Amino acid sequence: MATYEVFLKKDGKDEYRHAGALDAANDELALVMARETYIRRAEGNRVWVVNREHLLMAGDDFISPNADKPHRHHDGAAVAARRKAAREADSSEAGNDE
Amino acid sequence: MGRTWQDMEAFEAFLDDGGIVEVDDHMPDEYRHAVFTFIEMHANSEYMGGLTERDWIPKTPGLRHKMSVLAKTQDEIGHGHLLYMVAADMGIKTRTEMIEDLMAGRSRFHNVFHYKAETWGDQVAIAFLVDAAALASQQAVFKNCSYGPYRRILKRIISEEGFHMRLGEDRMRRIAEGTQIQKDIFQGALDRWFWPALQLFGPDSKPDDKLLRWHIKSERNEVLRDKWVQKFVPMMHSYGFVVPASDLAYDEDTKKWDVGPIDWEPLKKTLAQGGPDSARRIREARDNWEATAWARRCLDGAAV
Ligand SMILES: [Fe+2]
Ligand SMILES: [Fe+2]
Repeated sequence: MATYEVFLKKDGKDEYRHAGALDAANDELALVMARETYIRRAEGNRVWVVNREHLLMAGDDFISPNADKPHRHHDGAAVAARRKAAREADSSEAGNDE
Repeated sequence: MGRTWQDMEAFEAFLDDGGIVEVDDHMPDEYRHAVFTFIEMHANSEYMGGLTERDWIPKTPGLRHKMSVLAKTQDEIGHGHLLYMVAADMGIKTRTEMIEDLMAGRSRFHNVFHYKAETWGDQVAIAFLVDAAALASQQAVFKNCSYGPYRRILKRIISEEGFHMRLGEDRMRRIAEGTQIQKDIFQGALDRWFWPALQLFGPDSKPDDKLLRWHIKSERNEVLRDKWVQKFVPMMHSYGFVVPASDLAYDEDTKKWDVGPIDWEPLKKTLAQGGPDSARRIREARDNWEATAWARRCLDGAAV
């Protein structure tokens, strides 16, 4: 017996989503079990079934070095402020014309 | 992998903040055990409920109904399966250990599966009253549950439970529009199932209820029970049935139904495996488990 993780996707824009896990004796039975356990009512058009042993997993310890990278973001605040000021200047000019 | 909390205070602050716990987090032992026990009882109940449902497959009147009983049976056994997976991942008992404990009468399952379903009317009453009560409790857990894997799996269970409830109400409608004999059979079933269904919510929640404090349950038992009463009493009346509560009263001021005092003794008995049908249920579940051992052996043999 091995534990498998099941991922489902409906046709269209959605991404694959984790549905849950199951125990099965082999890969072939895992697919059948996935259908009978998780896809009885058109919950997906495609399925991925992955033996848990083959999943590579990591958590915060591994990911956290990337948490402190402000240079990978830009809030655009200064540009937004300039645009806003320009819009306000425009509309007050328009107001003066009346 | 997984997060750690300094102490219970820090952990509870995390939960109060809407934090969601994942399986590999270093959660406090008391929390792990409380959540595990709750999920295990839920899983056991789904499994025992599925077996009750299965008992009725050969006796269900009409092919369409029979097919929907098959579907519901598969749903309930499936719910048990999903929940046993989530519970087993918590590292306290394996799925086999949980099933063996259930078969040996060492672990609990909900009160409603300790009673006998005597007629087809009972199956209809169960689908209508019990599935609705179970659904209401599950929704209240789903709403705010701090244990992520349980919350996510509940989403799917709840959507299927809705199918059972609609099936139940539609069957009740057929009976209500049927012959006097059908109506009498169903009234008898309501008389048997009203109180056990109501007791499924349990006695009033204690002020220090850990499941509430740790955001597993989001609503007190008495609040959920009252909502169920307010919904189902008028519904039973509207279909022309009598609610079997001798002290039933309607308060004109609050516009609420009151079922009167609740005798909790029957619930306590079921929790100690001493319900009217507990022994047979557990025995038959065990016989069934043993009789299907060959299938599990074949599957093990297919393992690579
Ligand atoms: Fe269920
Ligand atoms: Fe159900």
